[in-house]
Amino acid sequence: MRGRAAPLWFALLVVLVVVAPFLTSNYRSYQLGFVAVYLIALCGLDLLTGFTGQISLGHGAFMGIGAYTTTILVVDHGWRDLWTIPVAGVVAGVIGIAFGLPATRFAGPYLALATFAIPLSLIGILKRFPHFTGGNIGKNLPQLHSEFGWSTNPSIWFYTVTWVVALVMFPLAFLIARGRFGRSLRAVRDSEIAATANGISTALVKTAAFGVSAFYCGVAGALYAIGITYVNPDTFPIDLSILLIVGIVVGGAGSLYGMVFGALFVEFIRISWGPALLDLFSKVHHVNTHAPGSGLVVYGVVLLVVLYAAPAGVAGLVGLARSRFTAVGRPGGAPSQSARTPI
Amino acid sequence: MQTFFQTLFTGLSDGAIYGSLALALVLIYKATEVINFAQGEMAMFTTYIAWSLITHHGFSFWPAFFATLAIAFVGGVALQRTIVRPLERASVLTVVMATIALLVILNGLAAWIWSPQLQFFPSPFPTSSWVVGGVHISKQDVGTFGVVMACVLVLWLFFRFTKLGLAMRAGALNPDAARLLGVRTSWLLALGWGFAAALGAVSGMMVAPTVFLTPNMMQAVLIYAFAAAVLGGLESPVGAVAGGLGLGVMLNMLGQYVHPVTSELRLPVALAILLVVLLVKPAGLFGRVVVRRV
Amino acid sequence: MKKTFLLLAAAVAVSAVVSVTAGAAPSATPGVTAKSILLEGTFPLSGPASGYAPIPVGMGAYFSYVNAKGGVLGRKINWHYEDDAYNPANTVQITHKFVEQDHAFALVGGLGTEPQTAVRQYLNQNKVPQLFVSTGATTFDRDWSQYPWTLGWQPDYEAEGAIYGKYIVKNLASAKLGVLYQNDDYGNDYLRGLKAGLGPHQSQIVDAEPYDLSATTPPAVQVAKLKASGADTLLIFATPTPTIQTYVISTKLGWHPAHIITNSVSATDSFLTIARKSGSDNVDGTLTVNYLLDPGNPVYNKQPGMKLYRQIMAKYAPKANANDILNLYGVAKAWTTVQVLTAAGKNLTRAGLMKAARSMNYTAKGKNANPFALPGVNVFTKGSYQFPISQVTLVRYQGNNFVPQGKLINGRGA
Repeated sequence: MRGRAAPLWFALLVVLVVVAPFLTSNYRSYQLGFVAVYLIALCGLDLLTGFTGQISLGHGAFMGIGAYTTTILVVDHGWRDLWTIPVAGVVAGVIGIAFGLPATRFAGPYLALATFAIPLSLIGILKRFPHFTGGNIGKNLPQLHSEFGWSTNPSIWFYTVTWVVALVMFPLAFLIARGRFGRSLRAVRDSEIAATANGISTALVKTAAFGVSAFYCGVAGALYAIGITYVNPDTFPIDLSILLIVGIVVGGAGSLYGMVFGALFVEFIRISWGPALLDLFSKVHHVNTHAPGSGLVVYGVVLLVVLYAAPAGVAGLVGLARSRFTAVGRPGGAPSQSARTPI
Repeated sequence: MQTFFQTLFTGLSDGAIYGSLALALVLIYKATEVINFAQGEMAMFTTYIAWSLITHHGFSFWPAFFATLAIAFVGGVALQRTIVRPLERASVLTVVMATIALLVILNGLAAWIWSPQLQFFPSPFPTSSWVVGGVHISKQDVGTFGVVMACVLVLWLFFRFTKLGLAMRAGALNPDAARLLGVRTSWLLALGWGFAAALGAVSGMMVAPTVFLTPNMMQAVLIYAFAAAVLGGLESPVGAVAGGLGLGVMLNMLGQYVHPVTSELRLPVALAILLVVLLVKPAGLFGRVVVRRV
Repeated sequence: MKKTFLLLAAAVAVSAVVSVTAGAAPSATPGVTAKSILLEGTFPLSGPASGYAPIPVGMGAYFSYVNAKGGVLGRKINWHYEDDAYNPANTVQITHKFVEQDHAFALVGGLGTEPQTAVRQYLNQNKVPQLFVSTGATTFDRDWSQYPWTLGWQPDYEAEGAIYGKYIVKNLASAKLGVLYQNDDYGNDYLRGLKAGLGPHQSQIVDAEPYDLSATTPPAVQVAKLKASGADTLLIFATPTPTIQTYVISTKLGWHPAHIITNSVSATDSFLTIARKSGSDNVDGTLTVNYLLDPGNPVYNKQPGMKLYRQIMAKYAPKANANDILNLYGVAKAWTTVQVLTAAGKNLTRAGLMKAARSMNYTAKGKNANPFALPGVNVFTKGSYQFPISQVTLVRYQGNNFVPQGKLINGRGA
């Protein structure tokens, strides 16, 4: 995504966001609200995984931390839900930095294990302090209702809140990725040795990346709690962290715009597309669409197909398509293909 | 004192299972630098095959055991050839995702084929215990330990004393040089997956009598196997087994003797200890730190 | 650049349209047409709780049976269920879909304390029946005035615990009790009930060990501590897997409590048989309660309800394991659903359905009892008493049979 085109794309996104609720049902708007939530989380995680090359299997936990922060503030301390959002982000961000500091010593699979450990541990910790967290029973948040004197359908209210936040955090991620900090991130990803030789403190960069990505996930988690209106340890299983990585891969690691597709995929695959695909398949060859486990098989197969057909995600496909269209006249007609799409 | 030995024996038995799955993880990692997240589900799936052989096809335990090892081996090779090899050039993230997709598929497939209902899986060992000085030593625990150690020994002998084993070690250590010497490294990777799958099947068949056969039975074991493999150093087979045993004992001791560590906190505390170890020894207890040259 | 812009705009627009296509239009009473009634529910079809997956299958089989006979007052039941993997976040989103997109008439049989707690407020706010939830958490029956659209079905856990407490006071007044309980709502409900039933005899409990369901190892440590406490009576309030493990571990550790009391969800013939095969010698003599016919137990084969059950399963769910009591649980629940649908009349409304559900009178005396429950078990709600099923029989497990110990007991004393 070249620099000059970026504002155009963003404008297109804003237009789509504004127009969508009028074109569709309230339920879909509710779902699209979660797309915004995942978009925020994925932007943050992409900064860490796509841009800095640190694979984290645990960012669902930061969503959980954000969600619980919001819940405890709203339910136990009477805060207004919207004001808790930045607080949730900061709490998650601080914990992200605290985790990132020692994590910089780990690389590759060791980092994967360390991050894998976070959501697993979080569940245990949440259950250990039930007076604070509500334990296994969890906590109910107030039902969605519009505020500021505007009376509208709760789903539309949720959609509005989430997309307002998303449309702020998204360009923010852009700015982070474009600036000097973003270049440091990519330098660390491409070659830690070269980066160090150029005076970049890889430990500092990685820690900052952890902090920023955790902040984003914390904000996403706060919105998630507001939308689900309930939290408990089971709401943030390891599956969620894996789902976030799936979103990164499907969207295209290293591409922020790709994250829009990633977020769409993550929200719709389990709840809508998976069952729909299964129904479609059973028209060809009868299968029990309610068979336990069938949904998982569909999800896994779709994932594999995406990995083979589009290893660089949707953003990669777009990059390929663009090269095809604009490479006319290049010697040999061969499209120049970059393995990593720029923003 | 009695409790101490009791806890020790339970810990060693749990640890043997973690160690066998950890060894499978290390085998694959050493050869291909891939963490196979689907290792647990592969083990679970092959255990279901064994169960099916025993309950629906009239096999008795040991014939089913060895048949399953063979099936697992072939399955592991097939998976490497079809799913992993096409992604050889892809990024780490893509390969990680592929093993996760495999995890999801196998989990769903097992529930679909055999239903998620809890099933009984027989143990080849008697369910009684020896009583030595007031300590109850379960025959099953001892048998499990023995089977796992036997497999580890067989593998060690294979790698140490056979030509194929030597070729595999060479292929893992320096693939380019090995290829120059005529070693077909690509097929050796597939063999590595085959061995790992077979080891996983052993792990699954040994743990199923205690945790009962369900599609999710290996998920907990995988986490501990992961931790054990990392603790021991991902490139060290000895480390994997030692790490597994150590982890098993430590977890049981923690639960028994350290009271603030209630059952919810066992896993977080274990992982925290693991991370502390890694901070001190970043390549694991038995690993070697590799210095990268520019 | 212009071309790629257009290309991508097209791609985005297409995917947006595909994602946002609107749902079905609502009718006068949502989910009800001249010919059909749409009932929906969420169940864990994957993940750790997927062992409960047979329940909606049993429900579907019974609904098919009723549809074949003409349905309910001329309307066929359209039964649809989806997987929430026991994750309340999924339950919430799917439930929104059921209400706002599918426009289901009622949500029936939703499984899981936490998943159903997550959607209770929403459903009540939107006045959608949350009927016959598949959990024994007491709150779903007890808090009817706060949540008028929510109702449970099975005997609640607290009442069951109280029954055990009263039994102990009467028959085991000098026993030393060791309790292994699951450290969540489920286990705590039983424990609270037990203490209530024990009353002044609570001091009989010498040790209570919590067990965390997400714990990744069997409860060996807890069982060892219970043994060390000197308890001679073991109470197990946990889900099936740790329950079976407890039996096996206690034998392994050489502990043979004189009495074992286990909660009914986990003390089925199939689970106790697995415990026995896995090496436990403690299984016989286990005390528990039953309220439904158990297809795994041949002693019920002559019951007309059991015969009907087997016919229905053979015809409408031939691939299912008819010996799994969870299928029968589903059938029994579907029976109750059909009764209240019929009682709500031809002019079917959500409010009418709840009214019928809150004044159920399916009793042995009235000769219209639930055929799939034990003879004598009533399904009864009225006024401020909203515990549909609260009668159970204490039974003792003896070599694959549950031998009744006395008559039906009402855990709620209605």
